[in-house]
Amino acid sequence: MQPIQRRLLYTFILIAGLVWIFVSADRAGTSTAGEISAPREGFLAPDFSLGTPEGETFTLSELRGKAVLVNLWATWCPPCRAEMPAMQKLYDEYKDQGFVVLAINMTYQDNPAAVVPFVQENGLTFPILLEGTGEVGETYELRSLPSSFFIDRNGIIQEVVIGGPMSEALLRTRIESILQ
Amino acid sequence: MLTQFRNLFSPPRDLILIVAAIWFGLFLAEKRSAKHGISNDDLNNIVFIPLIGYLLGGRILFALENLSAFTQNPQSLISLNVDLFDPVGGLVVAAIVALVYGQRRKLSLWSTLDALTPLFAVFTLGLGLAHLASGSAFGKETALPWGMQLWGTLRHPSQVYEILVSFLILGLLWFQKADTRPGVYFLTFTILTSGSRLFLEAFRGDSTLIFGGLRLAQVGAWTVLVFSLYFLDRANKDTFRV
Repeated sequence: MQPIQRRLLYTFILIAGLVWIFVSADRAGTSTAGEISAPREGFLAPDFSLGTPEGETFTLSELRGKAVLVNLWATWCPPCRAEMPAMQKLYDEYKDQGFVVLAINMTYQDNPAAVVPFVQENGLTFPILLEGTGEVGETYELRSLPSSFFIDRNGIIQEVVIGGPMSEALLRTRIESILQ
Repeated sequence: MLTQFRNLFSPPRDLILIVAAIWFGLFLAEKRSAKHGISNDDLNNIVFIPLIGYLLGGRILFALENLSAFTQNPQSLISLNVDLFDPVGGLVVAAIVALVYGQRRKLSLWSTLDALTPLFAVFTLGLGLAHLASGSAFGKETALPWGMQLWGTLRHPSQVYEILVSFLILGLLWFQKADTRPGVYFLTFTILTSGSRLFLEAFRGDSTLIFGGLRLAQVGAWTVLVFSLYFLDRANKDTFRV
């Protein structure tokens, strides 16, 4: 190919690229991520209502305006157990700023009798919710325990952390981010 | 099958796909490195030494960006949490380490990039597979019959597009006749990859938008395309030396 033909081809490719950029621009900002609920960063956190062992019910959507950490866990899961003390420490530190922890025990795959003793043993004061049907696990596409969802004051998931245990520094950076 | 694949390699196990891609890419790169005048030792070193730089740099830079969190809990610096990481900072550190190593070993930049091209091509394929497993890099909403149910709606299977194109590029590069001009093999990869990204980004539902709704990744890909075509033109003039 002659140099002039080659450069014409290159110029054509670049002009076509520019045209495609403008044609495919998302002028309306059509991303509906913040309106669709899905267990993914940038999406509205799927809603649920679950009860505590004491009989109190918590609904996620009623906590709008607060920064929420939804933590899916089980008593038989060592990393879940290992991250609880750091979660409790930071819950105590940030709860006055509007931070809430909803620790959802996957009761349908756990020993229900082990939950309350574990909570008492570790002095956990944040709400422990019991998930007896597996519906929330399915909605949140649970594949590994623990799974943590950091939800901002608008109900949007800002960060998903799969696996653990989460270190204190990781928890602190994510909590400070969702509190902003 | 897709559900089984996603269950098997859901995060954090999607990292297995990335590691496997690096291993296989390096295996392919070793088979061609002699053609580009790079020894297998140098090839391995220029991958693994910057990789260590990437891991250490990414963690240290993240700690520096979040100093207050780490001063209260310094042992988190050696935590196994992969989320305590600055990937961009890690890449910058890795690039600096690679440049320093290349200079000390007096490696030709273009020949080294040529030798690494099979690794880059397999890595992009592995990245596409990891995106499919984790559901990231997802497509925009569509009503097309091949749409994929993901994150609450039917979407373009953007990860599948990404995998198919990466596979095609890898095939084209693997069966391409050896070109002795330094840089041409690597530039062919960057032109094909940036061109395909420029096209496929339009079907993504998670693009970072800049002024006027332009997609940042497309602007970046177009810029890479400009530089790649410029250097390829210079290579074709046969006056190309770095």
